[in-house]
Amino acid sequence: MTTWVVVGLVLVLLALYVSWTAGRLDRLHARVDASWAALDAQLVRRAAAARAVAAHLADPRAGEALDVAASAALEGTVDGREMVENDLSRALKAALPLLVHDASGDASLAELQTAATRVGLARSFHNAAVKDTRAVRLRRMPRALRLAGHRSLPQYFEIDDTTV
Amino acid sequence: MRSLRIGIACPYVWDTPGGVQAHVHDLADSLIALGHTVSVLTPVDDPDSPDLPSYVVPAGRAVPVPYNGSVARLVFGPLSLTRTRRWLRDGRFDVLHVHEPTVPSVSMLACFAASGPIVATFHTATARSRALQVFGTALQPALEKVTGRIAVSPAARRVVVEHLGGDAVLIPNGVDVARFEGAQPLPGRPDVPTVVFLGRIDEPRKGLAVLLEALPELAELVPDVHLLVAGPGDADDVREAVPPSLRDRVELLGMVSEQDKPRVFASGTVYCAPNTHGESFGIVLIEAMSAGTPVVASDLEAFRRVLQDGAYGVLVPVRDAGALATALGALLHDEQRRTQLAAAAHDAVRAYDWSTVTRQVVEVYETVALAAPVAVDPSFEAALPADEVDDDAGRLARALRRWMSELPRRGSA
Repeated sequence: MTTWVVVGLVLVLLALYVSWTAGRLDRLHARVDASWAALDAQLVRRAAAARAVAAHLADPRAGEALDVAASAALEGTVDGREMVENDLSRALKAALPLLVHDASGDASLAELQTAATRVGLARSFHNAAVKDTRAVRLRRMPRALRLAGHRSLPQYFEIDDTTV
Repeated sequence: MRSLRIGIACPYVWDTPGGVQAHVHDLADSLIALGHTVSVLTPVDDPDSPDLPSYVVPAGRAVPVPYNGSVARLVFGPLSLTRTRRWLRDGRFDVLHVHEPTVPSVSMLACFAASGPIVATFHTATARSRALQVFGTALQPALEKVTGRIAVSPAARRVVVEHLGGDAVLIPNGVDVARFEGAQPLPGRPDVPTVVFLGRIDEPRKGLAVLLEALPELAELVPDVHLLVAGPGDADDVREAVPPSLRDRVELLGMVSEQDKPRVFASGTVYCAPNTHGESFGIVLIEAMSAGTPVVASDLEAFRRVLQDGAYGVLVPVRDAGALATALGALLHDEQRRTQLAAAAHDAVRAYDWSTVTRQVVEVYETVALAAPVAVDPSFEAALPADEVDDDAGRLARALRRWMSELPRRGSA
């Protein structure tokens, strides 16, 4: 009799723990979604700012190259996004020394700098969210019970965003 | 720039002096100056005090607990739980900004109780945080709700990385430089070489004991030197630590108000920070530098960073009373060096001015505040007893209960 009570209690506690973990994972995934949305928005903002900068370069061909890289980033495909954004970082690195420092050139540079800072922040926050989520998802229990459901394992977003 | 509604949680008692409280106070003031709306939830000793800013929401009483080598007064009870929840619900914040969420107080409560964009600032540089060691795993679910982490120093950032995993953005502490610049010395003091100490005198890690130990040797080097000690604690302990012949050299001011702090710094020929450990940032150094007083400080990592390895002040070996006396004596005798250090420090403090720092904090807010605003976590709401829920569901529950209690009478009628 006592044994069954104990077994029942343990089962109830286990069930509670599993449902609590499922809720926790849910929350973590929501955080990853939000941090990705924020990062995506800042990347788009950076690409738009880069296009504005492209119009203020001393060499029109360099401007065209930057514009191409920025447009590719603005199209925002999910696959290979890191590569496209890295290309933009590289293009910016090459283009910035050619910037014409008149009033509108400096204004577009300021906007680019703001956007680049935000990309750095958003990326740091996103990767932290990915790390926390993966830490829980990759444990034995959530994996065995497929607590994450159909959701794919969140991936880190690694680019060089130190250009500006 | 859009105006944000920001809820800030401060874990330590508002009306006792402390680095975190001062940080929150200045941050709130400069956020408001930028046009944002701010509410600060914090434990308060005297909720009726006229000095309490209008944005402060008292979270209940605080209990003294020894914590990380000093006495912290913390809050964790049903009353503060209810108030935290109500504050979150009524505040409708775009961002919740918790300070030191690993300290068992309102920041931790707010973390548990909230969902939505949460920013956390980590102040402590103590690598061995007891709360994190004991409750690390239990705290993880609350801490992993934090969307954006800020560390105020590289040391604090390392603590975050080691204990919590993942990175934090580095934004230094701010100082209201203008409040300290050009401060006048306290009136009625003798015109003698003066070493200033500011900090709790009964807190060993602030290092007053080292400075007192250095006093006899310093008095031989600079015969008319005075020591100006400002900070709460037992004055008799200080007097007993000094040889009777030197007791008239030690001026004890007791606790000084924030308004008087700049004048205390300005009264010093030199400011001394003999801290032994546990210093996360050294905001006090930047305050002294802003007031134009040259600094002699322990060679702690945080201080070394602020003083740029000695470019803006003198560094001395930690807990070395002899070296401290020598360094203080040399600087008190060298007016040219003092002028030169003060000039270098004057330019260096700009980077720490609140106007610079707050702009960086707002960038963090704007990065995380894209999604839905802060709300009360549904699972937390369910965990509270119904009596404390005074929203519609709670009212309905109470009405039902009243109706049921009246049933027998109705039945008999």
